[in-house]
Amino acid sequence: MYKIKLEQFEGPLDLLLFFIKRDELNIYDIPISKITKEFLEYVNLVKMLDLETAGDFILMASTLMHIKARMLLPREINEKGEEIDPRAELIAALLEYKKYKEMSEELLFFESNQRKINFRGNFKGDEKISPPEYEMLLKNISVYDLAKVFKKVIEGIKVEVIHEITRINVTIDEQIDYIFQRLNENRELHFLSLVENMKEKIRIVITFIALLELIKAGSIRVKESSNYNDFVLMRVNHG
Amino acid sequence: MDKIYNSVVEALIFSSEDPLSAYDIIKAVQGIDGEDIKIAPEEIEQCIEELNAVYNEQKFSFRIKKIANGFLFATRPEYAKYLGYLSSEKSKRRLSHAALETLAIVAYKQPITKPHIESIRGVNSDYILNTLLEKKLITISGRAETIGRPLLYATTDEFLKYFGLYKLSDLPKPREIEEIMKDEDFIEQKQKILMNLFEEAIDNQNIETNDNTTE
Repeated sequence: MYKIKLEQFEGPLDLLLFFIKRDELNIYDIPISKITKEFLEYVNLVKMLDLETAGDFILMASTLMHIKARMLLPREINEKGEEIDPRAELIAALLEYKKYKEMSEELLFFESNQRKINFRGNFKGDEKISPPEYEMLLKNISVYDLAKVFKKVIEGIKVEVIHEITRINVTIDEQIDYIFQRLNENRELHFLSLVENMKEKIRIVITFIALLELIKAGSIRVKESSNYNDFVLMRVNHG
Repeated sequence: MDKIYNSVVEALIFSSEDPLSAYDIIKAVQGIDGEDIKIAPEEIEQCIEELNAVYNEQKFSFRIKKIANGFLFATRPEYAKYLGYLSSEKSKRRLSHAALETLAIVAYKQPITKPHIESIRGVNSDYILNTLLEKKLITISGRAETIGRPLLYATTDEFLKYFGLYKLSDLPKPREIEEIMKDEDFIEQKQKILMNLFEEAIDNQNIETNDNTTE
């Protein structure tokens, strides 16, 4: 699947401003239902393409629908007895955003001019040999730099992993004796109850191998249990 | 201030890597020639104007620029093309729209918290703020005394240098902006910028094709 990036809009407010500019709408009197419809169409598109940014757009979509619903209800009245326009907050947010968007264009203009200017450079060769005072060394260092270095150091500490191995002494012969012992107590024995009290994995494995040995030697028989995850052991009585 | 100090100021600025402030210049002069020499920062500015007038008259390729609370030698814009051909400065990428937008908000509202920035932009701004911090265009200036004590962001001297500003108050006032945007001169300048971008794109393409043919 290929992805289309919708770069032209920096966010939901940018998109709303685009609608307002394109249709030459009055920012103080936005036709909410029309703009909500168009916004939702765009959101559906974004939702398909880029889930990460969709969240911010969906939030705005729900705000728009909330305003649309409030527009249908009788207007609320503030302390001064004036009607509250449900759109007021949105308009304020749009105007605020518009202000900074315009200022960012201004910054783009400065950036472009500044790119044409080069400062005197190539100072790398004549760094002072004697270290200046500590205050000078710290001149260009902000708390952010310190925090960054700290993070790097902390993350750089390697945790030494130590594995301890204790040998568990268990043999197949021992487990064969153990199985006979258990079978002497009960005529029939469930495998799960046989291994129930074994804490180490290796002991269970050895017990199972012992079991296979006994079956091979024809000393015990195995039958299916009503529980499919288990089986039942029985001693074969010779003679 | 004696005219003889013009050359001292020139030498001091010439040997400085970062913008050299009027305060530092005065400190150097007084450190050598005695505290009783009284120089006002305005006199330094006057001196720089005189120096620049000389450079202009003699058609020098550089001049002293007032930038980031100090003074720095800088080439004239006419030579940008040639310098860019050799220097890696050119390869430094432009800021994205999102970055400029965020910077504008930080610049005018500083110190400002991340939630506040995000409420103005209407979008999550984690990534952008980290990029701007990495580029040293903004810095963390402290914590707000509100619930959760969120971090406060502010612009740096690097920000002033990047945009060619002397001090923060040189930023256009928000009210001025509407006027600037309507201004014909600005529209003309804007077209020039677009042309610049266009030419640069063509230049880059040419360089790339040249590279390909030489390979």
